Amino acid sequence: MSDVNAKYARLIQDLRRDFRPQREWGEGRGVFLVVGHFLVGIAAGAWLFGLLFAYPPGLIAAFLLAGAGGIAHLLFLGRPERFWRMARQVKTAWVARGFVGLTLFLAGAVLYLPPLVSSAWLWTDHSAIAWIGWLMAAAGMVVMIGYMGFVYTASKGIPFWNSTLHPVLYMAYALRGGAAALLVAMAVRGAPSQEMLGRLTTIWIAVTAVVMVLFVLEIQGALSGGNAAARRSVREMLAGRVAVYFYGGTLVLGLLVPLALVSGRIAPLSLEVLAAIGLFSALGDFFMKYTTIRAGIYLPLGLHQARVR
Amino acid sequence: MRWGMVIDLKRCIGCYGCQLACKAEHGTPPGVYYARVLKQEDGEYPTVRQLSLPVLCNHCEDPPCVAACPTGASFKWEDGIVEIDQDLCVGCRSCMMACPYTNRYFNEQPQHYFPQGATPFEQARTERHQQNVVMKCNFCRDRVRAGKPPACVANCPTVARVFGDLDDPTSEVSRLIKERAGFTLHPELGTGPSVYYLPQ
Amino acid sequence: MNVFSPRQFQTPARDDVWVPSSCSICYGTCSILAHRVDGVVVKIEGNPDSAVGKGRLCGKGVSGIMTHYDPNRLRYPMRRTNPKKGLYQDPGWKRISWEEALDEIAEVLRKVRADDPRKLVVQRTTTVTASRVPFHAFASAFGTPNFSVSGGGQHCGNGAHLISGIMHASWSVVPDFDYCNYAIFFGASKGHSAGHASCSNMGKAADARVRGMKMVVVDPLCNFAAAKATEWVPLRVGTDAALALGMCNVIVNDLGSYDGPYLQAKTNAPYLIGEDKLYVRHAESGKPLVWDLRLNGPRPYDAVAAADMALEGDFMVGEKPCRPAFQCLREHLRKFTPEWAERVSGIPAATVRRLGTEFATEARVGSTIVVDGVTLPYRPVAAIAFRGAQGHRNSVYNFYAVDLLNQLVGAADVVGGCLGFNPTSHGHPDTGRVSYVPSAGPDGLMVVGSWMGYHYPYPPPPPRLPKNLGLQDLFVIGMTSPFLDSVDSEELWTKFEVPYRPEVMINFGANLVMSIANKDAVAESLSRYKFIVSFDLCLTETSNFADILLPDCGYLQSLDSRSNFPFIFSLPGGLGEWCWPIRQPVLPADGEQRQFAEVLLELADRVGFRADLNAAYNAWLDLQPPYRLTGDERYSYENICDRELKNNFGAERGLDWFKSNGVIKWKKKPQEVYWRPFVDVRVPVYWEFLKPIGDKIAAIAAPRGLNVPLEYYDPLPDFLPCRSHCCDKPGFDFYGFYYRDVVHTNSFTMENPWLDEAAQLDPFSYAIAMNRAEARKRGFSDGQMVWVESETGRKVKGRLKLTEGIHPEGLGFAAMCGHWTDGQPIAKGKGVFYNDLLELDWEHASPVNINLDLCVKVRVMAAESAS
Repeated sequence: MSDVNAKYARLIQDLRRDFRPQREWGEGRGVFLVVGHFLVGIAAGAWLFGLLFAYPPGLIAAFLLAGAGGIAHLLFLGRPERFWRMARQVKTAWVARGFVGLTLFLAGAVLYLPPLVSSAWLWTDHSAIAWIGWLMAAAGMVVMIGYMGFVYTASKGIPFWNSTLHPVLYMAYALRGGAAALLVAMAVRGAPSQEMLGRLTTIWIAVTAVVMVLFVLEIQGALSGGNAAARRSVREMLAGRVAVYFYGGTLVLGLLVPLALVSGRIAPLSLEVLAAIGLFSALGDFFMKYTTIRAGIYLPLGLHQARVR
Repeated sequence: MRWGMVIDLKRCIGCYGCQLACKAEHGTPPGVYYARVLKQEDGEYPTVRQLSLPVLCNHCEDPPCVAACPTGASFKWEDGIVEIDQDLCVGCRSCMMACPYTNRYFNEQPQHYFPQGATPFEQARTERHQQNVVMKCNFCRDRVRAGKPPACVANCPTVARVFGDLDDPTSEVSRLIKERAGFTLHPELGTGPSVYYLPQ
Repeated sequence: MNVFSPRQFQTPARDDVWVPSSCSICYGTCSILAHRVDGVVVKIEGNPDSAVGKGRLCGKGVSGIMTHYDPNRLRYPMRRTNPKKGLYQDPGWKRISWEEALDEIAEVLRKVRADDPRKLVVQRTTTVTASRVPFHAFASAFGTPNFSVSGGGQHCGNGAHLISGIMHASWSVVPDFDYCNYAIFFGASKGHSAGHASCSNMGKAADARVRGMKMVVVDPLCNFAAAKATEWVPLRVGTDAALALGMCNVIVNDLGSYDGPYLQAKTNAPYLIGEDKLYVRHAESGKPLVWDLRLNGPRPYDAVAAADMALEGDFMVGEKPCRPAFQCLREHLRKFTPEWAERVSGIPAATVRRLGTEFATEARVGSTIVVDGVTLPYRPVAAIAFRGAQGHRNSVYNFYAVDLLNQLVGAADVVGGCLGFNPTSHGHPDTGRVSYVPSAGPDGLMVVGSWMGYHYPYPPPPPRLPKNLGLQDLFVIGMTSPFLDSVDSEELWTKFEVPYRPEVMINFGANLVMSIANKDAVAESLSRYKFIVSFDLCLTETSNFADILLPDCGYLQSLDSRSNFPFIFSLPGGLGEWCWPIRQPVLPADGEQRQFAEVLLELADRVGFRADLNAAYNAWLDLQPPYRLTGDERYSYENICDRELKNNFGAERGLDWFKSNGVIKWKKKPQEVYWRPFVDVRVPVYWEFLKPIGDKIAAIAAPRGLNVPLEYYDPLPDFLPCRSHCCDKPGFDFYGFYYRDVVHTNSFTMENPWLDEAAQLDPFSYAIAMNRAEARKRGFSDGQMVWVESETGRKVKGRLKLTEGIHPEGLGFAAMCGHWTDGQPIAKGKGVFYNDLLELDWEHASPVNINLDLCVKVRVMAAESAS
């Protein structure tokens, strides 16, 4: 059976169910959306930490990640050739705001980064163009850190995503991802100082703790809230379709492995080990987003709460 | 002027007439149903009711899909109908997540029903729809502007569906909602649906 | 709305027309408007001008587009090249020309007609109402009485239709939705699913529901009618008679609230019955006697005022002790206590008592109402039954017992009561034509004014040593027979010395391999035919047995002057309008498709019996001069259609008029709808005629080794168990049954991809319904694949749907699915083929009306997941 026919057969099965999983985001072509969100989130965090630590390789990494994230979004769209239209509805749509933010960021980075890398560039790193670029990128970065969670809370069709913790969680992901990206960048390009590495590592540990707490709170909120679809989503994540990704990806790869590494018990904390921590942490973030998206269950339609059989 | 619909659950028998009349009117591809009939069961043997629940886009007063759409492809007319301009849609499907009634479909299905390919009907009708964009009910706006009711309303053999102006207190829809305690789906979400149901 | 004309096929500048015609996805035949744009039908809607459907259509009707444009449709005549016939044999179809096809068919028919025309069996599908006259005319002109309507006839024709004919002079019964206050449905979904006047009834039933009509639905499954019921009464499969008889007993013996005057005037309740269970007759005239209370003596029934006729008492006529039939009925009913009914049906005795009381109370016996200025009896209760209740070995008594409820309170064809579909018509005001009215026949009992088949339901012809292959001239209460294809047909033909065997079949659209009973029995029967011609839209499982396949035009390509006649069949009953629609082509034939009616005419020409066929058409259509067909002139079908229309509606209303206008209609009068008070006929509440028929049949059958159980021929109804009720094999603890689905017709519509998709989305359509608690006890889960096995070892496989809405002992199968033919790729593999569990023999048919026993005792076992 061809791919298209397999999808159709599955759609029919889904339409028969009381609790219908969403598949548009996260399955098939929809994986690119998760990749895109993941990359854009890390990019924003990497830019932030790149600025705070004055570490240009971090900024370059952020730019490349953002560009890749943009491409991933284009691959996700049904009609990518019309992408530019997404700027229109910033007044109401979080996706539009995110698009404008990313565009602003990329354009700003294009203006700000070249003079940092090459002194023979057309304008200097203190020129007005560079400052404008810095401002644009900073504005874009703020949007990119903040908007993503709101896209999910605006999705009234998926109760699991409607927690007010969601935007905070996504901001924390961006920070965690940014710290991880910088750890990897430092492994590739060298760390300016041991002290910076140390601070970065501490930040990573702290943000990881925050992410864990927020995540647990969100799960607990979904379970104890009144909504059956949200509870069903948690079930999908912990014991259903995406459990293997949750346990294997989010927990083991994304949490247990980097925590074990950062404890120093397995190996001394060399640059390479820190980079590994960064990579596994990023993987974990990816799977956390992936499982959350794929665990989304639509609010059931009906005149009574459908019984869970 | 605010177009709305009333669906009488006491009259509806779940014959799928609306679901299929809509499909015939718009030539929707496989798996896409602007109007659907859900079947639900209530009670325990021997006190059982089977409910047929026809659903369609609710053309909300405060549509979350319109707010979520980044390009403005999903928009609301002045007469209340919420429509998708297929030319503007980029296929990001945010609206599908935003709609709490799961009444939107992403058109990447196979475009014909028979394995041999498109029938003349599908060539005439289904192929008018753009692919890789989102599609949904538009209250048959072309028919409405020509003075005809939506296809699902015109066709219903139990006369369970009524269409009219919710802003006009003397219209049949307003009267039915008042007299028979019409209700909407998921009113707690504050979307302000324009589709009302009469109890069964 | 543009006007369609035949010249339209020469493409005009811009093609955009709405053509009035008639649907044919089920026999409801609702009126349609087909929208054709640039040569493509892009929409089918109802025709608001027509009373049939009133401008609306069910899901099947609007989906006709995809049946028409199915690329799997036959487009050329085909001949098999593989002589071996079998369920899974590839026929090796080779395309041939029409000339070759008709040559060969005509040659075969010529030989058969010269040899013994009865060797031809003509069979049609019930779905196309308009096929009735052409095929009946062909068969009678050819000289064969061997006619079948396949499963449609054997699953419901013999019971529901026959008895509706005897008791209500119509093909079916329906509550008077306009006025009824309390309706009780037994195994029926009139107005809530497909069927006669389906879309119109849906509207009427919805109006009644909103008005507040109470509807009690007696059914093992809670779906369709039961889903909308005020009260669902689940019962053990096949025990409807038990509830009905229990209720009758409550009404007659506990409450005494029956309609005495109605019974006296309009039934044979006062006729005197002797100890031999037969009428006591007047010596000279032979008429049944009644006891005249005023003169205190016996007199012929038509010589006494109704009010003076005794309903009770013991009398002597000469030496003979006798009592009125009502007295016999009353005594007979006593044993059907509510406690007895509970034991048989599982319905609590208190419920039986309550339903009987409610029915009798709501009947308002004795009241009247004024409708359109006419004062009429008012009995706003109706008890109706249909396929479910009568699809059993005990078909006759099940249906008869239900109708007895109506007769006892006088709710028969009066305002608010149980109505036949249009038993009486005064005809069109301009021409007075197609008028008909029931009349009093032998013994004053009602003879229909209009019917669909060969012999009227009453009076049944005398049984004789059969010459028909279906043995209907022996089993004279039956219409369509299983014995054409049963496993014991040869044995029966031998026993009854039937002097010939079937050799040739002309089949129109029926898929009898699936529609009658288990496929092996029918396959065996079909493989014995020497030659089979089949008109089909697509290849079916039955096509495998045909020698020549002819590509049929679908309803969007066909012309029929009487798509909806007779009025007793599918014109909505009750007040409203008379309506005569036609069917006309909206699209040209595709490939070499031809309309069956034209092909039959051409065959008659080639075989050489056109004169007989013209005469048959005159008779069947009741054509009067100047429209009568003469001699052997080769009228086209279009010409015949034009003549019929002018014959009925006047010279200016021929085919052209109807093609423009679509329908003709005129208002019904209350005297037509509520006709009983105006016509002096009686219906039998004591089926005296059944006993001598039974005796005669037994006299013919017994010496030839066939035991006819005479308890089935007793004049009063009883509950006689089905085979399934007598099965006590351990582990076989479910009663399997099938039920009609609103989204499917017979085995026809699963190939329509819109309907198939809707069925896939429906929780029940392709599944086997089982009670959830019973499933849990046995460790079954929702969606599980199971094997269902009958007590004779037949098995089908399907997916379970657990539900609260089914009797714990019931196992419900929707529609007639489970196709396996490659010729219908959409239908293939969808749903469950329930009929494969059914036996096809004398033991599993009613010994009275030869309807099939459609319930089966089964056991259920887990299967591996579907591949």
